Amino acid sequence: MTAGTARNVPAHAAPDRRARLAGPPRAGTRLLRLHAASRRVPAAIVAIAACAIGLRIALLGHWDTYGALQLPLVFEAGCAAAITVTTASPLGEPERVTGRWLPFLRLATALALTAAATGALAAAGTGAHLAGGTLDVLRNLAGMTGIGLLCAAALGGGLAWTGPLGYLVVGAYGLYTQWHHPALTTPWIWPAHPPHDLGAAICAALVFTIGIAVITVRGARDPAGE
Amino acid sequence: MTAVRAPATARPAPAERGHLRAVARLLRLELRHNATPWMLPVAVGLFWFTTYRKATAMPPLWYPRAASLHTGALLAFACPVAGAAAWMGSRDRRRRTTDLMMTTAQAHWVRLLVTWTATTCWAIVGYLGCVAILYGVTARQASWGGPLWWPVAVGAASLPALSAAGLATGTLAPSRFTAPLVAVGAFFALALSTQPIRGSRSYWQISPVVSGPWDDGSDPGVATFYPYLPDLSIAQVMFLTGLTIAILGALALHAGGGRRLRPTAAACAAVGLLTAGTAVMLAGTGRLDSHGMIAIPALHDAANDRPLRYTPVCSRTAIPVCLNPAYTSYLPVTAAALTPVLNEIAGLRAAPGRISQAAANYHQDTGNSVSVSMAGPPHSSTPPVFRTLLPFQLSGPTMTTSELTAAVRSTAGPDLVADVIGDGPGATPAQQAVAAALRMSAGLPEAVLRSAPTRQRPNGAIVPLPVPVQAAARRFAALPAPARHAWLERHLAALRAGRITLAQVP
Repeated sequence: MTAGTARNVPAHAAPDRRARLAGPPRAGTRLLRLHAASRRVPAAIVAIAACAIGLRIALLGHWDTYGALQLPLVFEAGCAAAITVTTASPLGEPERVTGRWLPFLRLATALALTAAATGALAAAGTGAHLAGGTLDVLRNLAGMTGIGLLCAAALGGGLAWTGPLGYLVVGAYGLYTQWHHPALTTPWIWPAHPPHDLGAAICAALVFTIGIAVITVRGARDPAGE
Repeated sequence: MTAVRAPATARPAPAERGHLRAVARLLRLELRHNATPWMLPVAVGLFWFTTYRKATAMPPLWYPRAASLHTGALLAFACPVAGAAAWMGSRDRRRRTTDLMMTTAQAHWVRLLVTWTATTCWAIVGYLGCVAILYGVTARQASWGGPLWWPVAVGAASLPALSAAGLATGTLAPSRFTAPLVAVGAFFALALSTQPIRGSRSYWQISPVVSGPWDDGSDPGVATFYPYLPDLSIAQVMFLTGLTIAILGALALHAGGGRRLRPTAAACAAVGLLTAGTAVMLAGTGRLDSHGMIAIPALHDAANDRPLRYTPVCSRTAIPVCLNPAYTSYLPVTAAALTPVLNEIAGLRAAPGRISQAAANYHQDTGNSVSVSMAGPPHSSTPPVFRTLLPFQLSGPTMTTSELTAAVRSTAGPDLVADVIGDGPGATPAQQAVAAALRMSAGLPEAVLRSAPTRQRPNGAIVPLPVPVQAAARRFAALPAPARHAWLERHLAALRAGRITLAQVP
C-alpha cells in the first residue's frame, strides 16, 4: 500500500460513515425482510388473505345457527395454522448464534401476523353476519395461535399446525354441545363461549401469551434441513 | 439369433417377482417413515374427546353408538389424516430430494401409490382400533343386538379418500402451508357439507358424516325393531371409492409414466368420477322410511323391511311391562315408574294383560324435521295388550334415571289410566273424575286435577277440570285403595259406557 492509497482511505471512509449513520434503519429493514422471507411470511399473508376471502364468500351463503358459529372458527384455525407454520426456520441451529435480534424478529413476526389475520377476518365479516363479531375472532385466533406456537416449540414449525387444527375439532365439538347437552362449560374451550365471557377470554389470552413468550425465547424446534 | 431370444423369454417372470419384492420393500420403508403414526395420537385423542365420551354416555344400544361413531370418528380423523397425507405428498420438495428421486428405479406414480397405501394403512389401523374399543365396550353393555358394520365401512372408506386428496394436493402444490390448509379444507368440507341438506331427498346426504335423517340425531328407536338399512351407507361407500380411484387416477396421469399407464390412469379417473356421480344421484333418490332410516329404492333390499324377531323381557309387576330386549337396562326404571298406576288398575276387567313397548313410526316433515309416533294400534285385543312408545325411543338428549322415571310416569301413566277408564274427548264428568282420582292416587306428576294431554287427547291443552269434577275426584281418591278397587270392579263397565253420573262416584 502506497502513501497515496493510504491517504485515500479517509476519502473513501466519508461515504461509509454516512452509510453507517443511515445504516441501522436500512440494515434493520433488510434483516426484517430477510427474516420474513426465510419464514415464508409473504406466503403466510397470502394464506391469511385466502382464508379471509374464503370466509367472505362463505358468509354470502345461508347457514343455520350451528353452521354460522362453526364457520368463522374454521377460517380462524386456518389463519392460526398459517401463522404458526412461519415459525419453521430453514436455517436451523446456525441462525441462533448469529445475533441478538432473532427473538425480537420472532416476536414481531408472530404479533404482526396475528394482528394481520385478525384484521383480515374482521374485515371479511364487515357488512355480513359474522357470528360472535370481531371480539370472537380476536379471542379465538389469539388462543389458537398460542396453541400453535406452543406446538411449534414442542414439535417443530413444520408440524405446528396440528395444534390449531386439533383444537378446531375440540372447539367445534364444544359448540355442538351447546345444542346437544351436556354442554362443555370449561373456559379452556373458548370457542364454545360467547365473546364477552371473561373466563374464556382470559384462557385464550393466557395461552397466546405463553405461546408468544416461548416462541420468542426458544424459537421453534426445527431440525436443520427440514 | 438364438442367443438373444433365449434370455428375452426367460426374464419376465423373475423381473416381475423382483419388481413386486421391491415394491413390498418400498411399502415397508414407507410404513416406517410415514408421518401418519405421529398424527394418530392426535386423532385418537380427538376421537376420545368428541366421540367415545359422547357415545358411552348414550344408552347401550347399537344404533345410537354406531351413528355417533360414524360422524364423530370421521371428523376426528379427517384433519390428521388429510394433513399427514399432504405432508407426505410434499416431502420430496421439503427435503429438496425431488431431482434425486427422479433417478430411482421406481416410477413416480408407483412411489406415490406406495406412499398413499402406507398413509391409508396407518389411518385405517388407528380408526379400526378406535372402533374396536367403542364396539368392545358396547358389546359388554348391550343386552341385545350386534355391531353395525356399515357405518364402520363408511368411515373406513373415507380415510383412503382423505388420504388420496391430501397426497394429491401435497404433490401438486408442495409447500409448508399445504398440509394445514388441506386439513382445514377437509374439516370444512366434511363438517359443513351437511348444511345444504333439506329433507331426506337431498343429494348432500352423500356426505360421509351423514348417518341417517339429518338433524334427527342418533335416535335410539332406530334399527331396534327393524334391521339397519344400509342403503345410504352403500351409496356413500360407492361415492368414496369412486372419488379415491378418480384422485389416484388423476395423480398417476400427472405423475407421468409409460404409454400403457396413461390410458389406464385416465380410464380409472373417468370410472371413479362416474361411480361417484352415480352414488350422488342415488343419494338424491333417498326417502325417510317409516323405521327412521334412509331408503334408496335402487339399493333397497325388501328383506330389511321385515321386523326383527325377539323375545321381550318382562317385569314381575301386577301387570307385566314388556320391552324389547335391547332396552333391558330400562326395564327396572320403566316398571318402577308404572307400578303405582298398574297397582290401581290391575284386576279390572278393562285392564290390559300386559304393557308392551311398540315400535316408532317416522315421518318426514318440512325441512329436516321428523315426527315420531307409535307404529300400529294402541291395543291388541287377543291377548289384551296396551302398546306404548317409551320416552327413550324418541330423539332428544339422554335422560338421567330420575328424568326417565318422570317421563315414563307422565306419558304412559295418564295414557294407561285414560285407556282403562275411557277418559278422552267426550268423556263424562264421572269418567274425568275417576281418571283424575286414579292419577292422583298413583302419584302422577302431572297436576291431577287438570285435564292433561293424553294419547286419547293428544292436542288437548292442560285445562283445569270443573270444580264439581275436582271435588268428586278428591273424594274418590281419598277412599282406601281396596274400596276404590272394589267400586271400580263393580262399576267399570257402566263407567266406561257413560252410565255413571258424577253424583254416583263415591
